[in-house]
Amino acid sequence: MKSVDRALDFLECQSDWRYATRTAPAAEPTAWVALALAAHGRHEAAARARGWLLDLQNTNGSVGIRSDEPAPCWPTPLAVLAWNLIGAVSGTNSNSTGTTAPIVPSRAEQEASRCAVAWLLTIAGETSLTAQYTGHDTSIAGWPWVAGTHSWVEPTALALLALRAAGLVDHPRARDAARLLYDRLLPTGGCNYGNTIVLGQALLPHVEPTGLTLLALAGCPDSQGRIAASIAYLQGTLGPETTSASLAYGLLGLAAQRTTPAQADKWLSACVEGSYRRGASLELALLALAALGKDCPLVAISTNHQAA
Amino acid sequence: MNRQTKMVSIDKIDCDSQQSVQTPRLDRRALLVGAGVATAGAIAFPLVRSALTRPQPVFLARHQTYDGPLARTISDGLLAAGLDPSSLRGRRVLLKPNLVEPSRARLHMTTHPAMVIAAADVFRRWGAEVIVGEAPGHVRDSQMALFESGVGPAIDSEQIEFADLNYDDITTVANRGRASKLARFSFPQTVAGADLIVSMPKLKTHHWVGMTAAMKNMYGVLPGIAYGWPKNVLHHAGIPQTVFDINASLPQTIAIVDGIECMEGDGPILGSMKRLGLIAVGLNPTAVDATCARIIGLDPRRISYLKLSSRLGPLDVAHIPQRGESWESVASPFTILDVPHLQELRMNPGVLVT
Repeated sequence: MKSVDRALDFLECQSDWRYATRTAPAAEPTAWVALALAAHGRHEAAARARGWLLDLQNTNGSVGIRSDEPAPCWPTPLAVLAWNLIGAVSGTNSNSTGTTAPIVPSRAEQEASRCAVAWLLTIAGETSLTAQYTGHDTSIAGWPWVAGTHSWVEPTALALLALRAAGLVDHPRARDAARLLYDRLLPTGGCNYGNTIVLGQALLPHVEPTGLTLLALAGCPDSQGRIAASIAYLQGTLGPETTSASLAYGLLGLAAQRTTPAQADKWLSACVEGSYRRGASLELALLALAALGKDCPLVAISTNHQAA
Repeated sequence: MNRQTKMVSIDKIDCDSQQSVQTPRLDRRALLVGAGVATAGAIAFPLVRSALTRPQPVFLARHQTYDGPLARTISDGLLAAGLDPSSLRGRRVLLKPNLVEPSRARLHMTTHPAMVIAAADVFRRWGAEVIVGEAPGHVRDSQMALFESGVGPAIDSEQIEFADLNYDDITTVANRGRASKLARFSFPQTVAGADLIVSMPKLKTHHWVGMTAAMKNMYGVLPGIAYGWPKNVLHHAGIPQTVFDINASLPQTIAIVDGIECMEGDGPILGSMKRLGLIAVGLNPTAVDATCARIIGLDPRRISYLKLSSRLGPLDVAHIPQRGESWESVASPFTILDVPHLQELRMNPGVLVT
């Protein structure tokens, strides 16, 4: 897609990657950019992004927000994904002469990933055996945004994807993560940041966390039909007015569940134009990954694993 | 205190502040107020004590609509509350609406874009540099929040800059309230660097603390990258305590409340729309919230975060001169959930919902 190439060209020529042009370089946009550039064969720039993450890594293996913000460390699973999913979809290098030599993580990246995963496995959200007013199971330990707080959908989904990328698909924490994510899906479909029913009322779903959750739950059993309902929610919600990040996550989730809207490319192109005008590196990276559909490495690791 | 507010360094007053923590200097934030009073915010407690005993007017306007002359109402309100417009020339003003979880199907959940545009117009005419900022607490896609709420297209059409506070660079400041265990706050640099913050909440019930208005709205200045989505760090430290602490630690903050189409029942997300037609304006957010609580039928002295915030401003009617309408003339009790921790907040028995 021409628009995606334009996005990749933009990302490739940046000296670093930020949430906004006036803010400092940050881990989350850098990790997503690393994934996107690698997946599209822009290996030199991808390696540069991964190297920046290596420099950011804390001595305990975690990865913080920015160089002067070493905590909280919820971006750690994103760094793990970036250090592990470094091969292009087609296996070609944009600067190569056409050879398809496999691209593997460097020794430094492998060690960084090992340390990051080790740290990740020491972190768990606060749990409670009883929850008077909330409808989800508060006893399942997933991952929090900030140490010492409750588990929520997005950090848990990212951690699950990271464990899969690191070859730990059968780890008990991975199984608990899948269990938690399923529990946080609304019975009518979709999910939000991680609450279901509060004080007797079901809360509203949102596209971004739903997409990420469906990506993480690909291949998992659907005993209560919540995954099917969530797919239906996304299919009925995604459209030309869906904003970039939400669209990208939504399409990734649907691709992992083996369905893609007919107008996905059209919506993606429109969003790329808007994100490009704003210089939004994170959005452009997400859109570039979503444009790969089922060939996106994130989708591949989700659909290739055995059901939890 | 004379008319020219003293330029005072906070470092000299607050001896307990941690030396390693960056403390904003008051001289960038001194607001010349018509009454010659610097209101509570990041000001140290000796100055706050004067704010507690000095009257803090609140302006109320009724029969307001989103297609009406909102800028005129807001301007009148700010002047009636004691703001000196000449003090705003060249100042950086941050408008902070509530976009916690926007949905086009539930516009009464978020601050109406017409309010934001009207306020921007007023401050711009007074020579201020205006920026709109928000850190939606329940959604990470800020572009979605801007689009669904209508605020995005509105500020784009007026060429007003938006600062995504969820992902901004961070400045660490000491917790000046100290009601919670949190020693410091990570404020977005846009917030720390503002000369004036204008809390622009939607008036709603809140199923945990009773009400959300000017002060609870300030949860939305804290960046999600540091606090999460939702900002669970604050919940764990105590919602009333952190509402107070945040407001005690911010730069100068005033309030313009969108009470035109409000939310009652199961606020702040799933409640029903209640049309009140109200705009409330004040230079002291505690006084504004106390007034709003009375209007919707809650006793401000029973709302935990307001009880704590009595250190920042008055709760009693005797110290809140009424400008415009009286609160009694616009009062209209909101329905609240039938749960004990909310029932006990009522001034008088009212309609409960389950």
